[in-house]
Amino acid sequence: MATRELQGPPGIIPLYAKAALPMIPGASALPFVPGSGKDVPDLELVLPEVTFDPAALAAYNRVCGFTLRDDVPSTYIHVLAFPLHMALMAEPNFPFGAVGLVHVNNTITQHRPVSVSETLSIKVTASKLRPHAKGKQFDMVAQAKAGRTIVWEGVSTYLRLGKGDPSAKKPKGEELADPPVSATWKLQGGLGRKYAAASGDRNPIHLYDLTAKPLGFNKAIIHGMWTKARCLAALESVLPEAYKVDVQFRKPIPLPSKVTFGEEITKDGIRFAVKNARKGTPHLDGTVVQVPAKKR
Amino acid sequence: MTPSVRRVAVIGGNRIPFARSNGPYAHASNSDMLAAALDGLIERYNLQGEKIGEMAAGAVLKHPRDRDLTREVVLGSKLAPETPAFDVQQACGTGLEAVILIANKIALGQIDSGIAGGVDTTSDAPLALNDDLREILLDANRTPDTAGRLKLLTRLRPGMVVPAIPANEEPRTGLSMGEHCAIMASEWGITREAQDALTIRSHDHLAAAYDRGWQDDLMTSYLGLERDQNLRPGSTLEKLGKLKPVFGGPEGTMTAANSTPLSDGASTVLLASEEWAKARNLPILAYITESQTAAVDFVHKREGLLMAPAYAMPTMLDRAGLTLQDFDVYEIHEAFAAQVLCTLAAWEDPVFCKERLGRDKPLGSIDTEKMNINGGSLAAGHPFAATGGRIVAGLAKELSDRGSGRGVISICAAAGQGVVAILESAGGAK
Amino acid sequence: MSQDLYTQIVNSPPGGFIAKRVGLPQPTTLDRYRPGQPLVSGTVLVGAAPGGRLAGAIAATLAAANAEVATTLDADLRSAAADAGLDASVFNPEAGGDRRFKALVFDATGISDSTELVELQKFFHPSVRKVQSSGRVVVLGTPPEDTKTPREHTAQRALEGFTRSLGKEIGKGSTVQLVYVAPGAEDLIGSTLRFFVSPKSAYVSGQVARVSAGLPVPADIDWEKPLAGKTALVTGASRGIGEAIIETLARDGANVVGLDIPQLGEDLKKVTDRLDGEAIELDITSDDAPKVIADFFKGRGVDIVVHNAGVTRDRTLAKMPEDRWQSVLDINLSSEERINDALLKAKAINAGGRIIGVSSMAGIAGNRGQTNYATSKAGVIGMVQSMAPVLAKSDITINAVAPGFIETQMTAAMPIAVREPGRRLNSMNQGGLPIDVAETIAWFASSGSTGLTGNVVRVCGQMLLGA
Repeated sequence: MATRELQGPPGIIPLYAKAALPMIPGASALPFVPGSGKDVPDLELVLPEVTFDPAALAAYNRVCGFTLRDDVPSTYIHVLAFPLHMALMAEPNFPFGAVGLVHVNNTITQHRPVSVSETLSIKVTASKLRPHAKGKQFDMVAQAKAGRTIVWEGVSTYLRLGKGDPSAKKPKGEELADPPVSATWKLQGGLGRKYAAASGDRNPIHLYDLTAKPLGFNKAIIHGMWTKARCLAALESVLPEAYKVDVQFRKPIPLPSKVTFGEEITKDGIRFAVKNARKGTPHLDGTVVQVPAKKR
Repeated sequence: MTPSVRRVAVIGGNRIPFARSNGPYAHASNSDMLAAALDGLIERYNLQGEKIGEMAAGAVLKHPRDRDLTREVVLGSKLAPETPAFDVQQACGTGLEAVILIANKIALGQIDSGIAGGVDTTSDAPLALNDDLREILLDANRTPDTAGRLKLLTRLRPGMVVPAIPANEEPRTGLSMGEHCAIMASEWGITREAQDALTIRSHDHLAAAYDRGWQDDLMTSYLGLERDQNLRPGSTLEKLGKLKPVFGGPEGTMTAANSTPLSDGASTVLLASEEWAKARNLPILAYITESQTAAVDFVHKREGLLMAPAYAMPTMLDRAGLTLQDFDVYEIHEAFAAQVLCTLAAWEDPVFCKERLGRDKPLGSIDTEKMNINGGSLAAGHPFAATGGRIVAGLAKELSDRGSGRGVISICAAAGQGVVAILESAGGAK
Repeated sequence: MSQDLYTQIVNSPPGGFIAKRVGLPQPTTLDRYRPGQPLVSGTVLVGAAPGGRLAGAIAATLAAANAEVATTLDADLRSAAADAGLDASVFNPEAGGDRRFKALVFDATGISDSTELVELQKFFHPSVRKVQSSGRVVVLGTPPEDTKTPREHTAQRALEGFTRSLGKEIGKGSTVQLVYVAPGAEDLIGSTLRFFVSPKSAYVSGQVARVSAGLPVPADIDWEKPLAGKTALVTGASRGIGEAIIETLARDGANVVGLDIPQLGEDLKKVTDRLDGEAIELDITSDDAPKVIADFFKGRGVDIVVHNAGVTRDRTLAKMPEDRWQSVLDINLSSEERINDALLKAKAINAGGRIIGVSSMAGIAGNRGQTNYATSKAGVIGMVQSMAPVLAKSDITINAVAPGFIETQMTAAMPIAVREPGRRLNSMNQGGLPIDVAETIAWFASSGSTGLTGNVVRVCGQMLLGA
C-alpha cells in the first residue's frame, strides 16, 4: 500500500468542489476528477503531527454539548481525521464522488482518554468496496496514535446508492425494545451551519434548505456525526475510560427538529437511540461497550 | 438536642493551573473549568461513582445560564449523580466560604463527605443585555397587542446594542477594587518598594514550589497549561520599579505586577469526617478547626474596602483561644500586595486595634517568613472564587508535610467582606 | 464686615484671570468659623520629632474635637492616638496617594539639638504641598527658657525662624504658628490647639503663643460654649471690633456686659439687647469710672474684662498738643490700669478670670503720626507683661491681641495710599475682619485657656512690618 504524508490538514472546501464534480455528466472522464476507478485506491494518507487548538475544540464542544475538559471527546478526533476522508475520496482514481455518499455507520474505539495537550498522528485508509442491499459500501478506516500507541480508531461506513445486492442484507438480529427516553432535544434551524463551522464538514446538504435540495433533500439535515457526538455528550458522566461506540445512522434529521434521546445502561454496556419526537422515526441507534484501557 | 460536633478533615484538593484572562482558557466556561478541576479530584481520590454528601462551589462572574452551576458540573462528572450540590457566592471569599459551609455540615454530622470549590472566568465573562433594551423587551413581552409593541420599538436607540459588561467596581462607590486598595495603601502608608518586594517573593516561592514538585498532587493540567501562567520568577525591585502605577493616580504605588491580574481557573477541595476517610484509606492532611467571616461599612464609615479580614481574625482567635503569633504558617490572600501589607499594618497598629477592634493591645506582628511560603495570588493569579480552594488545599498539604503545626488563612472580598479560617495538621497543632 | 472689593473682584472668574495675567496679588477667600461646623473641615496630620512629650495631649485634643486625623508612622504617636481614642489613619509620604490635609500639627518638643531640626524638614517637606487652602500649621515646642541644656534652648529658639518663614511662603490663606508649651502645661494646650487648627484663627499667622502652667482645664468644658456661666465686660462694645467681640463672647456662652460712652448709648443698647446682655454707659476716663465699674460687679463678680475701647488722635509729634496726647494715653492705657486696679481691689474679678487688652501693630512696629497711639498700645503690651506674674497669684490671666489692618469704618476712611499697602502687605494679601480679632480674644477668654498668660498675639495676617 502506498503511503502519502500530508504537511497539514487539506482544505475541505476545494475537496468538496472536487468531490462534487463527478455529478456533472461525463466529468469523471477527466484525469483529475474522481470517479474513474473500479475500486477504492490502495492508499494511506497520514497526518503526522496533529495538535489540538483549544479554541476550535471549545467551539466544537459547545455546539455538541460537551464540557470542555482536558480530555477531548472521542468524536472530535474523527473531526481531525475527516479531511483525510475527503482527500482520499478526491483522488482521481476514487470510484465515485464524495457528494451523494451516505454515511450509514460509525464506530469509534477510544483505547484511552486523549488529553488536549497531546500530539497525535492520524492515518486514514479505505477498505475494499463491498456489496450492500441498496448499492455498494466501503469503510474509511482511521487510526490515531500517540507516539507508538494506538489510542483511537474510527471506522466510517459510506453507502453509494445504486444497484443493490439483496443477499448482502444483514440478518435481522434479536429485536430489542427501544431504550427509554431520557431527554428531548430541540435542534434549531441553523444547527447544521454551526456544526459545519465547528467541524469543518461543510457538505451543502447540512447548510441550507436551498443547498440541500439539489442533492435530494427537502430540508437541510444535521450531520450524523453531530448526532453521535450529542449522544456521547449526554452520556459523558457514564462513559468508561476506554470504550467502543458504534452507531447506525437511520433516517436523516431535517432541521429544525425535535427529537428524543433514549438510553439504557446495563452491565454489558449502554444502548441509546435518537428518534423523531412526534412520529418516532428512527434517526440513530447506538451502543457503547467497555474495552480494555491502555495506559496513558 | 444539641448536635455533636465532629472533626473535619481535609483530604486534599485539585485545581487546574490558573491562566491569565483571554489566555489558554479564553474559550472555557465556568462549568468547563470547574468540571476539569473536579475530574482531577475524582481521579486522585478514586471518587468515581461515589455519592458525596454534598458539593458547594461558586463563581463570582456567573452567567445567568449557569443556574445551579455546581449541580450541573456534578451531573456531568463521574461522581454519583445522587450527589447534591449548591452554588455559593461571596465575592473572592466564595471558595473559602464554600469550604466552611461543607465543613460545618460535616462537623454537625449532616454529611460525611463533601467537596468545596470555586471557579471564575474573566475571559468568558457574562455580558448582560443593555438594561434599557432589556426593559423595552420585557415591556414588549407584557404588551398584548402588536400596535403597542410597535410603539415600544420606537424607544429603541442605537446605543442600546452595547451590552452591559460586568464591571470590577463597587456599585456603591463607583471605585474599582484597585482604586479602593490604593486609598487603603495610602492611608496605611504602604510603600511601592514593600509591595514590589512582596510580589517578587510570591513569584519566587511559587516557582520554588513547582520546581520541587510540591504542586504535583494539587493540580492537573488543563488545555495545555501545566503551571500558573502568571508566574514570573526571578524579577527584581529594579525591574518592577519601572512599571507605571495603575491605581491611585500618577503618585500611586500599585502596579500591574503588585496587583493580581484578571485570571481564569478553578479549584476543588475534598473534605470528610475522620470515619469516612478511614473507611476509604484516605490519609488526612489537616483539620479545619475554626472559621469566621466579617464585613465592614466601607460606604459610610471610612473603612477600607478590603480590611474586613482584619476584623474577622481577632474574633476567630478569641474563640479559638489563640493569638496571632500562634501559627506556623500564614496564608494571606494577595489580592493586591498592598492589601496584605495593610492587613499586617492594621494588626500591628495600636490605633486600629483599639478604635476599630476594641482591643487594649494590638494583635501584633507576624513572622513574615512564615507567610505565603509556597507563593500567593500575586504569582498564581486570582480567579476570584477559585482562590479559597487553592489556599486550603495548599495549606493542608504544607501542614501535612510538616507533620504538625497550625496555619491560618485570611481572604479579603469585594463589598467589604473577609473570611478567615484555621487549619491544624493531622499530626497535631504542635 | 464683608470682604474688601479687591478681594471680591480677584475671586470672580474674570477678575482672577486679569489679576493672574498682570501679577496682582490674589488673596484667598479665608475660611471662617460658623457655629455648629466641625472644628476642622478636613484631615489633621500629626507628626512628631522623636522623644516629644505632647503626643498624648495633641491626640486627646483632636479626639475630643472629633477631628479626622492622620499620623506619621511613629510608634509613640500611634500609641498616643490609641490611648486617646483617636481613630487616626497613617500617612507615609512614600506611599503616594492623593492625600490632602487641612492642618499639620508637629510636636517639636523632642528636638534637643540643632542637628535634630532636620525633623522639621522631614515632616513638612512632603506634607506642606498637600495642605488645602486656609490650611493650618502648628508647631509645638518647649519655651527656650524652660529647656534643660543650652543646645536644646538654641534648637527650640530656632523653631521661630521656621514658622515665621513658612508662614510667608505657604500661601493660599494658610497660617503657621509656634506654640511653646512649658513642661507641666501639656494638658493645657487644648484651647490653643483648637484655636490654631480651626478657621477661628483665619487672620492670625506667624505668631508665637506660650502655654504655661495654670489651673487645670475644667473637665466638663463645653467647647461649643466655653464661656458658659461666665460674665464678660467689653468696653467700646457699641460698634466695630468691640461689637464683634461682645457678639463672639455671647456666642461662646458668656453673659455679656457692654460699655461705651453715653453718646453711643443708643447703639450700645441695641447690641446688648440683641445679646441678652447689660449695658453700662460710661466715659472710662471719668474720675468715678473705676468705682462705677467695680460697684457694678461687686458681689456678682466678672470673669472676663476686655479693654477694647480706644481712640486715635493722629498728628506728628511736632504738631501734637498735650491734650491730644493725653486723651489717647488716658483712654487707651491709663484708664485700663485704673479699672483693673479698682476691680482687683474690690475682688470683683473671679478666680480664673481673664483680662484681655487690645494693643496694635502700631504699638509693636511704630507708625508715623501715631506717637501717642503707639505709645499707648505699646503700654498695653507692657501692662500684659507686668501684670501677668502679679495676677497669676489670683489665678487671673492677662493677654492682649494686636490687630493689624482690620476692615472697619475707621480703615475705610483712610486715604487709599495708606489703606492699600496696609491691606496687602501681609501673608494673606488682605485685611482682617473684626471677627478675627474677636475670635482671638474669645480664645484668650476661653475657660480652657488657663495656661495662657502674658501673651500678645497679633491678628495681622502676618504683616510684613514689625517682628
